[in-house]
Amino acid sequence: MRVAVLAGSIKGGMRIAKEIENLPGIDVFVVACNVGMRSPLLRWSRELLLALKSFNWWTLTTKGCRYAQQGRLIILHRPLDDPASIERLRSLQCDVGLHAANVIYRDPTISAFRFGILNAHIGILPKYRGRCVAEWSVLQGDPTGVTVFFIDSGIDTGARTVLREFIPSNQWNRVRPFKNMLFGCDARLYRKALEALMQPGVRFEGNDILKGKRYYVMSKMFIHTVNKILRDRANLG
Amino acid sequence: MDLETALSRPVQLDRRKEILRGALLRKRAELRKSWKHFISTEGLESLGSLAPEVESFLSGQGSIHDWRLAATFTWINCDASFSDCLRSIALAGKIEYRPSDTNPARLSPLDLNKLSSDERLKTLCARYRCPLNIGAASESDVAEELLRQLMVPDRAKLEAGEEFDVDIVLLKLNLVGIRAMITRDLRFLDALNYFYELPHRSLARMRASPRYVALWLCIYAQLLSVPDW
Repeated sequence: MRVAVLAGSIKGGMRIAKEIENLPGIDVFVVACNVGMRSPLLRWSRELLLALKSFNWWTLTTKGCRYAQQGRLIILHRPLDDPASIERLRSLQCDVGLHAANVIYRDPTISAFRFGILNAHIGILPKYRGRCVAEWSVLQGDPTGVTVFFIDSGIDTGARTVLREFIPSNQWNRVRPFKNMLFGCDARLYRKALEALMQPGVRFEGNDILKGKRYYVMSKMFIHTVNKILRDRANLG
Repeated sequence: MDLETALSRPVQLDRRKEILRGALLRKRAELRKSWKHFISTEGLESLGSLAPEVESFLSGQGSIHDWRLAATFTWINCDASFSDCLRSIALAGKIEYRPSDTNPARLSPLDLNKLSSDERLKTLCARYRCPLNIGAASESDVAEELLRQLMVPDRAKLEAGEEFDVDIVLLKLNLVGIRAMITRDLRFLDALNYFYELPHRSLARMRASPRYVALWLCIYAQLLSVPDW
């Protein structure tokens, strides 16, 4: 199975690649997208800064060089939905893309992958679509976790769910670090999802959007309330 | 585990609703003091007979009217104008209405978005002449679209300090607030929280429509006092 990590930075792409590259039968590519269309100077300064901030910056650099030498590190200069970028993605003949860039995917980008692009959404689908779903789940007393599903061009409306992992918020007393932990589960859960996809006769769970709602960015007042709920639970726990 | 712990623990385990209620009441107390930042003295004077009612509603303890019954009807007809109905709802007053078994032809969010800003305003005011109808089950698509517009493009414009249509944004805030009153959907309440929290410079242009601002704040005040989210 050929897999491309669609990342907002080389460092971000390498982090996920490292987790999945040892899976038997997987060929990994890292596609670094120019999110926000930064100038070359700004983009490479950012990449350098991110690499230097990394604890394992030397490992990261050597790994990046190795990927580049093997033609497995692709640097996109144009937006992801630009025809030239889509053509480049198609030429990789990948089966699956892994979302790790802060971009919205349009249909031509999604269909550049045989099965589609996986997203590790930090909420439980189908109930919680959209933004701040971890916060909304805590506020409404619902389970928190991550859902890995194949995206479509809507907001978390893709119909094929690969896996769902419930991750309780009980031990956290603030929502920001809890969310960071959920975001950080992406590599591990992508690995699990790819393992599931390689099983013969893989079956997907549906994502019935009528069973859920779209959520939006949360007000400061509600975020304070969520933090208070978490603190209260952590103190009791 | 002793009996007292065994009995009290499940109650203590989820104080979520209590914490939420406390937060809403604190915000209500803050609104009581700060609402005048949103309406200028001249704006308040321009409201005429509405001004003292708004002032006493926002500065006082404020009453709430439970409109959840409205959701049980297919549609509601009333003789009063949109403006009078909105005023009564915002000030927790009464509305003379007649439930109906039939509702008007469906308004699709796509069709709504094809209209110009002026046409959209007229269409929404005509369709929701009795604004309680925004809480009807059949209006879920429109209500979701109004919420999306507020929380995505309108919010982005306000935060970036870009031009926006004051009347239509305020109309949406009023309708979304009424939907929250009827459906108890926290997302709709939070849209009002979010706009209330925007920096005053972002909201300064809203002072151009003091009536809509005043009614939005009165609806918000009621929502903050609702005990059972």
